[in-house]
Amino acid sequence: MFPVPIEKNSAKAQIAYKLALPIALFFWLLPLLAIFMTSIRPVSDIATGNVFGIPSSFQLIQNYSEVFAKTEALQYLINTLLIALPTMVLSVGMACLTGYALAIYKFRWALPLFFLFVAGNFVPFQILMLPVVNISVKLEIMNTVPGLVMFHAAFQLGFCTLFMRNFMKALPFELIESARLEGVGEFQIFWHLVLPLVKPAIAALCVLIFTFIWNDFFWATVLIQEDSSLPITVGVRTLNGEFVQQWHLISAASLLAAMPPVIMFFIMQKHFIAGLTLGATKG
Amino acid sequence: MTTTIANPNQRFETSANRVVGAGIVLAICIFLLVFVVNTAMVQEMLGYTRQITARVPTFFIRMALLLTAVAAGLFMITGHSYYKRNKLAVTPWLFLAVGLAFFMVYVIVPIFQSISYSFTKWNGLYDINGVWTGKWVGLHNYRILLDDPNFWTSLKNNLIWLVLYMLAVPIGLFIALFLNQTVTGIRIYKSLFFFPFVISQVVVGLIFAWAYNPEFGLLSEVWGWFFCEMRENIVGNLTRVCSVDPPSILGDSKKATYGIIAAGLWPQIAYCMILYLTGLNNVSADQIEAGRLDGAKGWKLLWHVVLPQLKPATFIAIVVTVIGALRSFDMIATMTQGGPFGSTNVLAFYMYEQAVGEGVGRYGYGSAIATVLFLIMLVYISYFLWRMYQDEKEGN
Repeated sequence: MFPVPIEKNSAKAQIAYKLALPIALFFWLLPLLAIFMTSIRPVSDIATGNVFGIPSSFQLIQNYSEVFAKTEALQYLINTLLIALPTMVLSVGMACLTGYALAIYKFRWALPLFFLFVAGNFVPFQILMLPVVNISVKLEIMNTVPGLVMFHAAFQLGFCTLFMRNFMKALPFELIESARLEGVGEFQIFWHLVLPLVKPAIAALCVLIFTFIWNDFFWATVLIQEDSSLPITVGVRTLNGEFVQQWHLISAASLLAAMPPVIMFFIMQKHFIAGLTLGATKG
Repeated sequence: MTTTIANPNQRFETSANRVVGAGIVLAICIFLLVFVVNTAMVQEMLGYTRQITARVPTFFIRMALLLTAVAAGLFMITGHSYYKRNKLAVTPWLFLAVGLAFFMVYVIVPIFQSISYSFTKWNGLYDINGVWTGKWVGLHNYRILLDDPNFWTSLKNNLIWLVLYMLAVPIGLFIALFLNQTVTGIRIYKSLFFFPFVISQVVVGLIFAWAYNPEFGLLSEVWGWFFCEMRENIVGNLTRVCSVDPPSILGDSKKATYGIIAAGLWPQIAYCMILYLTGLNNVSADQIEAGRLDGAKGWKLLWHVVLPQLKPATFIAIVVTVIGALRSFDMIATMTQGGPFGSTNVLAFYMYEQAVGEGVGRYGYGSAIATVLFLIMLVYISYFLWRMYQDEKEGN
C-alpha cells in the first residue's frame, strides 16, 4: 500500500493525521458550508455584515419555502425529473442493445462503429448545436421537454455504449457460445442470459446519466426558451437575475438544485464510482 | 411453436404468415406516418390551437407509430428464411438499428452539417416556402475570424483553461495519496471530498460568484482578517475600513478568467482524486514491497513504482480534464457571461453568443467558431481512439 499506512507511524503522526483530516475537509467544503449558512440566515444579517458568524435567527424553513412561494422552483424541479428520467431509460436501454451488438458479434464493422460512438461522445456541444436546433424545429419539438429528451438520449448513447460494450466484452464468451449450441435464439440469449449479468453496469449507468442530465445547463438553454418547460439549472440562473442581492434566497435555490444528485450519489455511491472510474484500473 | 419440430412444413408456414402480417402492419404505420399524421390535423382533432402544448401529443403519436413500424420490421425480418440462414451476420445490425439511427441523426450528421454551415452566411431562418435563406460564401467566415480580436481572446483563454485545468491531475493525485489510508471513517471523508463533482456547474459557478463578491463574499471576509478593521463612524455605525481594498476578481478583466478556472478546478480535482483513489486500490502491493526492500521511499517510490502502475488512471484523468477544459461553458455563463469586455470568453461561449445570442443570429460565423473548436478537440479524440485501438489489438 502506498503511502505507508499511518498505523505503522508513531502515535503522534497518527493523531496529527486524524486532526488534519477534518481540517482539510473543512477548507475543501468551505464554499459549500458558507453558502449553506447563508441560506438559513435572515436577509438582515447579510446587510449588517454578519455573513459568516452565527445567524441571528435560523430561517431554514422560511427561506426555503420562500423560494417555492416566490418562484416556479417546484415546476422547474418537476421538469428536470421529466427530462432526466426518460433520458436515463432511453439511453441506457438503447445502449444495452448497441453494446451487445458491438461486444458479442464479430463482424467487420464492430470496431469502427464502436469508435464512432466513442468519438461522438467527446465532440464539443457547439458543433452540434445549430443542426440539433434545426432538427427539433422540423420535428416540432423545439421548446418542449420531449425535444430535449430526444437529444440527450441520443448524445448520452455514446458514453453508454462505450460503457456497456466494455462491460459485456469482459463477460465469459463461452457462456454465449454454449447457449448458441443449445439452440437458444439470439434474442433469448440477450434477454435471459446477458441482461441479468450486466445489471451492475445498468445500475451504474443509470446513476451517472441521471446526474449528468440533472446538471445539464447548455442544452436546456439552447433547446428550451419556454419558461414552463425549463429545468432547475436554468431556473436557478434566472432566479439569480431576479433576486438581485437577495443572497439568502439565491443560495437556498442553488442548494435545492444541487440536492437530488447529491442524495442519489450518497445512496448509490458504489455504482456511481464504479461507473466514473471505468478504465482507470485496467491495463 | 410446440409442433414445429414434428412438422417442418408448418413451421415454414407460420413464419411466412408472420412475414406477411408484419409487413401489413409496417405498411400501415409508414402510410400513417407519411401521409396522415401531420401536425395541423392532429391539433385540430385534439382541439388545440397552434401552440407549444399541441406539439407534444403529435410527437408522441409519431413516435408510437415509428416504434410500431420498427417492431413490425424486426418481426418481419426474423421470420424470414434469409435471416435464419444468416443469423450471425444479420442480428448485430438488428440490435444496432435504433441506437445507431438515433446517434447518426443527432450527433454524427450534425457535425458535418455544422461544418457546411460554416461556409455560409445565414441567420438561421427559412422563408415562407421553407426555402433556405442563406448564401454560400466559401472561406469568408474564416477570414473574418482571423481578424476578430474576440476570437483570439477566446482562443487564448481556451489555452489558459487547458494549461491551468491540468493542475487538477497532480492536485487530485495529492489528495488521493492523502486519503489513501484505512483509519476509521475514511470512507465518509473520501465521499465528502468527492462531493463537489456531483454538484451542477451552474451551482458551483453561483457559489464562487458569491464567494468572490468583494463586499460580503467569502474572499472579502478572509481578506478582512488581514487588511481591514471595524471602526465606528461619525454616526455611530460600525463600518469596515480596509488598508487595501479587497480585489473584485470577476470584475477585473485581468483576473476574471483565473477566478473562473479556480472555481472549475474544484469539482475537477474531485474527479481526478476519485480516479486515483480507485487506481491506488489496485496498485500491486508486492511491487511496492519490492521497491521498499530496494531502499526506495517517498518521492522515488511514487515516481518509479507507483506512478507507472497508475498510468491508466492518469490517462483517463488527462482525457476528462482536457474535455472538461474545452467544454467550459456553464461556469462562464453563470459567473461573467464572457465579460468584463469579453475578457473571459472561450470559444464555446463565444460561439453561443454569436449564433443565438441576443440580436446576433450569425449561424455561419458561429459554425466557423464551432468548427475550430471541433478541430482542436479532434486532436485529442484521435489520440484517445488511437490508444484504444492499441488496447484492442493487445486484447485480441
